[in-house]
Parts: sequence; C-alpha cells; structure tokens
Amino acid sequence: MTAALEIRGVCKRYGNVEAVRPLDLVAERGALIGLLGPNGAGKSTLIRMVMSLIRPDAGELRVLGGDALDMKDRIGYLPEERGVYRRMRVEDFLFYIGRLKGLPSSGLRARIAGWLERIELPGVAHKRCQELSKGMQQKVQFVAALLHDPELIVLDEPFSGLDPVNARVLIQTVQALHREGRTIFLSTHQMSQAEQMCQRVVLINRGEKILDAPVREALARFSPRAIDLEPASDPQKACAALKQLPSVASAEWRPETCTIHVALDERADAVSSLAAIAACVPARRIEVARVSLDDVFVRLVEAHGGHSRVPVRGAA
Amino acid sequence: MTGEHRTTSGRMGRIGAIAAREFKQTVLTKSFIFGALVLPVIMIGIGALVPLLVGGTTPPVVGTLVVADKDGSVAEQMRLAFDAMRATGKVAISPSDTMPPPMPMGGLGGVPMPDDPPVDITVMRIALDADLQREQTRVQSGEILGLVEIPAALLQSAPPAGVDISVLVPTASPAKTTAMIGRIAREATVTARVAAAGGDLAAARALLSPPSAATARVSNEGQRSRERFEIRMILPGAFMFLMWIASFTSANQLLTSTIEEKSSKVIEVLLSATSPLELLAGKILGQSLVSLVMLGMYGIAGMVGLTLLAVTDLVDVPTILLFVVWFLLGYFMCAAMMAAVGSAVSDLREAQTLVSPVMLLMMMPMMLWLPISENPTGILATVTSFIPPIGPFVMVLRTMGAVEGIPAWQVGAALFTNAIGAIALVWLGARIFRIGILMQGKPPTPLELLRWARAR
Repeated sequence: MTAALEIRGVCKRYGNVEAVRPLDLVAERGALIGLLGPNGAGKSTLIRMVMSLIRPDAGELRVLGGDALDMKDRIGYLPEERGVYRRMRVEDFLFYIGRLKGLPSSGLRARIAGWLERIELPGVAHKRCQELSKGMQQKVQFVAALLHDPELIVLDEPFSGLDPVNARVLIQTVQALHREGRTIFLSTHQMSQAEQMCQRVVLINRGEKILDAPVREALARFSPRAIDLEPASDPQKACAALKQLPSVASAEWRPETCTIHVALDERADAVSSLAAIAACVPARRIEVARVSLDDVFVRLVEAHGGHSRVPVRGAA
Repeated sequence: MTGEHRTTSGRMGRIGAIAAREFKQTVLTKSFIFGALVLPVIMIGIGALVPLLVGGTTPPVVGTLVVADKDGSVAEQMRLAFDAMRATGKVAISPSDTMPPPMPMGGLGGVPMPDDPPVDITVMRIALDADLQREQTRVQSGEILGLVEIPAALLQSAPPAGVDISVLVPTASPAKTTAMIGRIAREATVTARVAAAGGDLAAARALLSPPSAATARVSNEGQRSRERFEIRMILPGAFMFLMWIASFTSANQLLTSTIEEKSSKVIEVLLSATSPLELLAGKILGQSLVSLVMLGMYGIAGMVGLTLLAVTDLVDVPTILLFVVWFLLGYFMCAAMMAAVGSAVSDLREAQTLVSPVMLLMMMPMMLWLPISENPTGILATVTSFIPPIGPFVMVLRTMGAVEGIPAWQVGAALFTNAIGAIALVWLGARIFRIGILMQGKPPTPLELLRWARAR
C-alpha cells in the first residue's frame, strides 16, 4: 500500500523569504504525526501545499498515492485560519460542506446530527453559526473537516483557543479516529498534547526539517542524563556526599522543587548510577530525570538559530 | 473503511452545490426580497396612488370671480369658459394637444387642462372705473375668488408692449386655481380681441394647426420603416438599464460574498473541498440565476406595461432571445471582473480602489446611450459593439433602437468578439481569483494583479 503522504524535495519561496526549504517527509498509512515548529516556521505553508491550496516551487508531493487536487474528497482539513458562514444555520453549513465533499444528500442530515452528538454539540443544528461561542464554532469546523470520513486528516492547530474540557473532547475524537486506522497529520504548538497523542513528530524551523523521529526516540535522544532525588536528610550534606561519587558530574539543590538535580558523567550508566546514588544518600524519592517534548523543542530550535520571523505576505 | 458513501457527481456536483448556495443565500434574504421585489412594487404603487389620492382630494373651486374690463366682452368669454368647465367636469385631454380645439360660437370651449381642479365659478363683470379698491378688500377677506383687471389697451388690434392683465387672489389661493384663472383670462382676452377686430378665432386656429408628419426611414434596400420616438430612444434605454441593473447588482453581490468568505476565513475550508475555479464557476453561475430572476421579474412587469399601452409590437420574441444572449455575455464579463477584485482584497473599503476602474468601464454604456440611440447604425455604435465588455450593452441599444435593422454580419461579429472577450475576462478573473483568494494583507496593485494572472 502506498504511503498516505509523500513529500520529496518540496520548497516554497515568497519573495526573498524561503518559507519551506527542500523538505522530505513520508507519512505511512494509519500514522499519527505531529508537525511542530515555532510561529512562522513554515508549518501552515507546508500544510497548504499538502492540501494543494498553493503550489510548491519545486519538488514532488503525493497524497494518498495521487495529486491532492484529485483526493480532496478523501482528505479532511481543518485550517489554522478557519471560519464559518456566520448567518447560515449550523446544519445547513455542514450540509453544504458535506455536499462539496461529495456526500449524497440522503442521510446527510442524520450523519450531521450524529457528529454533533459525538462532539457534544447537541441542539445547535438549527442555530445560526454567529449565535455560537468561538469554541462551539471551532467544534463545528472540526465536524466539517471529518464529516465525509476522510482517510487522511490534516489538522492545523485544532485545539488552539479551546478550553480544557472541549480540547479533551476533540483529542479523544482524534485518538478514536486514529484507532480506526485514519492517517492523521497534526500541527500544534502544544507539546504536551503532541507528546500525549502522536507516534511521531516532525519539527521544522525556518522552513527546514530539523527533527523527524518517533516520540520516544526523540525524547531518548535528548535525555538529560540526570537523576532527581528528594533527600531525607540535610540537602547540603547530601549534595557534598553525592559529588564524591565517580559517576556524578555535579549535584545541585533546587529548593523550589525540594530536589537535588544530579548531572551524570558522560560515561556513566544511568541505571547503575541510580543504585549508587540511592545507596549514598537516603532519599524519599529518586528517579531518572525526564525530558519533555517541550524541552526538545526549545533546545532544537535554539540550536538552529532561534525561531524565524513571520515571513512576508501569504507565508505561514 | 471509507469512501463507500461517496457519489461520483464530482466537479459538476460541486459547482451545482456552490451555485445553489449562492442563489439561495442571495434570493432568500430580506434585503433582496425588499430591494428587488417589494421596493419596486411600493414605488409603482406610490406612483399610481399619489395622483389618485391627490386628484380625489382636490376640493372644487367654488365662488365668484370679479372681472373688470372695458365692455364686458372678456368677462363674457370667461363666463362661457367656466360654464363649459362646470358642465364638462375634469376630463383628460392629450398632453401633446397643446393647441386648444376650435371654439364653438366664438367662445373658449371650456376645455380644462389636465391639472385643472373641478370648478363652480360665477363671473361678475364690473367696469374698469368701478371701485376696484373695494373689490381688492373683498379679495383680501376671501369673500371672492379673485379680481381680474383687463386693461382696455389689450383689446386693441395691436396691443402695446408692457401692458399686463392684473389678477389678484387671496394669499391662501391654491397655485392650480391661480394658474387656471390666469390662463382663462389670457385666452378670453385674445378671443375678445379677435372678435372686436371682426375675425374668426376658430377659423384662424384651424388655419394655424400644424399637421402631423408620418416619418419613415428608407434603408439601402429601399425598405421603409416607420420612425417611432419611443422605439429609438426610450425602449432601448429601458432595456439597456434593465440589463445593466441586473448584471451589475449580481456582480456586486459576487464581490461582497467573495470578500465575506475571505474575511470570515471560511474560504480555506471551501478550498479544501473544491478548487478555486470550481468555486468561481459556482459563484458566477449562482449569481447569474439571481440576475435572471431579476431580469424575468422586471421583464414581465415591463411586458405588462407594454400590453397596457397596447404597444407589444415593439418587442418580438427573437429580440428578447437575443437580449438574453447579450445579457449573459455582459453579465459574465462584469462578474469575472468583480470576482477577481473581491478575491484580491480583504474588505469592501480596500475594494474601492480596484472597483473604480471597473465601474468607470461599466458606466460607459450609460454615457453612450443618447449618441447611440440617436444613430444606432453610425460609426460610434458600430465600433463600440465589438469592444468588450461594453459591446453587449451597446448591442442592446442598437438592436432595440434601429428600426431599420442591424446588418447580420455586425450582429455575428459582435457576438463573436464579445464571446471571446467574455471567455478572456473569465479566464483572467479565474487566474487572479485562484491566487488572490488565499492572500491576506495589503491589497495588490494593478501590476501585481497582472503578475498573478501570469503566475504558474
């Protein structure tokens, strides 16, 4: 079976700004991939090229084995800049989008009702879009992207502006769709959500791909090689004792978290060092320090010259 | 897993869905129903009702009019006139009949003008040397309708210049009443003067009455066609205005709906489901249906009007069919330009700069209306017929106005050049639309628009 998304050497330039530099990316069918990057990194430009809203200057782009223009009915897209017809009723708006997506009229209204129920928006079908709150409108747009049961789902910042309760509803829906076998390409700023949901993350900065790895691998690659412990005795004495161990490079008391952060020597093994430290200092709690996707993001972006400035007109 | 439910209607289905939404969202709005249906009906209603209401409520002029003249001849003529008006009542006469009909028995005939109120006026004659000051006091008090003083010099065969009839009326006298008294007094003076000179006014008027001219135009082939003012000037103008309003209203609607889709950010959702060209095609098609509804509505009203005036022979079926063809060509060009402008800007204020040249172009047929109606087969009319986007409007003026007919080759050539123009403008509009629709930020310059049109 062909990949859901194949991007080979795709680039896009706006005047003097390279919004996307030659970029390769393959998304296997059924994958849930997080597209990460700072503002103006080129994420939305890349997504717009995937959706064939704009043409790449060079490179090859295949969606579900063909041209995205011919696959629109098989792709669900929630753009970053999204909107509704304010004066249209919710049901009429979704009916219209469904028809554009090739759904037959018969049974469409029942399908809409089912989706509104699923994302916890009952009773809004006959309301005008302008009568809904921003969060509710966002959920209606979410339904508009998924109404036609797409094989590939492209979501650009789907949770931005949502309260935690509504964000959770949409996250659960995305996870359910993933379990059903849909391929999901998700752009987000919220690293915790990406870490929680995605199998793989792609990080782009200044239009360039700087990370493309499974989430676990990315976290492991940027493991801090450190151990955090909560001492049961005097923290200063504990620090002094820990510094005597050969595997410890430094030990630092962090009163704000009531922990001692122990940085390990480059050659030291984290698991055997953990046993040695536990034997050296009595501790209430001891664990290998975890790195978050947020840390990975910041470190990688800083290592690649900081985040980009917003490019000129039309670029993401 | 997925895809079983999809239909194969494809591109045409999407265009149809967009057109249907565009049509419904325009026609089923209060503003359209009010602006296109209710407002004209109200205006026609007011136009028809006001004269009836005014005519029905005008009180009759009742009272005494004192006339001071040399020998009573003018007063007698005025009495005859008012008596006749009282007997005749308010009857309509042809507005073009500016000459009064011959007067029987040397009198005025008492034929009222269309604006005259109903009258019941008694004329009381007094001598010129009577107490006019006392009569003036009666006028001031409203006891009498007025005092008319006819200087004796006005009854001479050659009345001196600078001598006028004096008409005194109360301050509150209605304008129509004073105008009527003045007119009757002038005509009565002339009648009395002619009678005093021993002449026959009725015979003189009959001699002076100009005959009507039956003008016909002779074509190169020797065919005669009757000259009709309403055909040459009014009817072509009416059809051209109808076409202009219908096409421009819909094209303007296209502009605002495109801007609304951009500003509400719904455009990217739409473009994830359809291509810019399909979107543009659907929108143009939907609005064309709106304009056809307007055209049909006003067209039917116009035909009812022509039927009531018994001049349906002025418009035949082939002319109407050709009119629809010209309308569609004109509409598509206008719509393509407006959609391109709408796609390139973010709000209506920004659109003004780009709409101005389009408006200027669209106003051209208005400016050409009179010269082309005057000479629908002249060089100006012929040349402008072939120039898009004004060609279709000019051709409507010509085909409706040229009673001698337009050479078939010119109709064919105009159809060809304007069809090419429509295709080119729709293509150009689509090229701009596909780029502009996703653009944000400052509006483009005309040069940038051309660059978009050339872009891959």
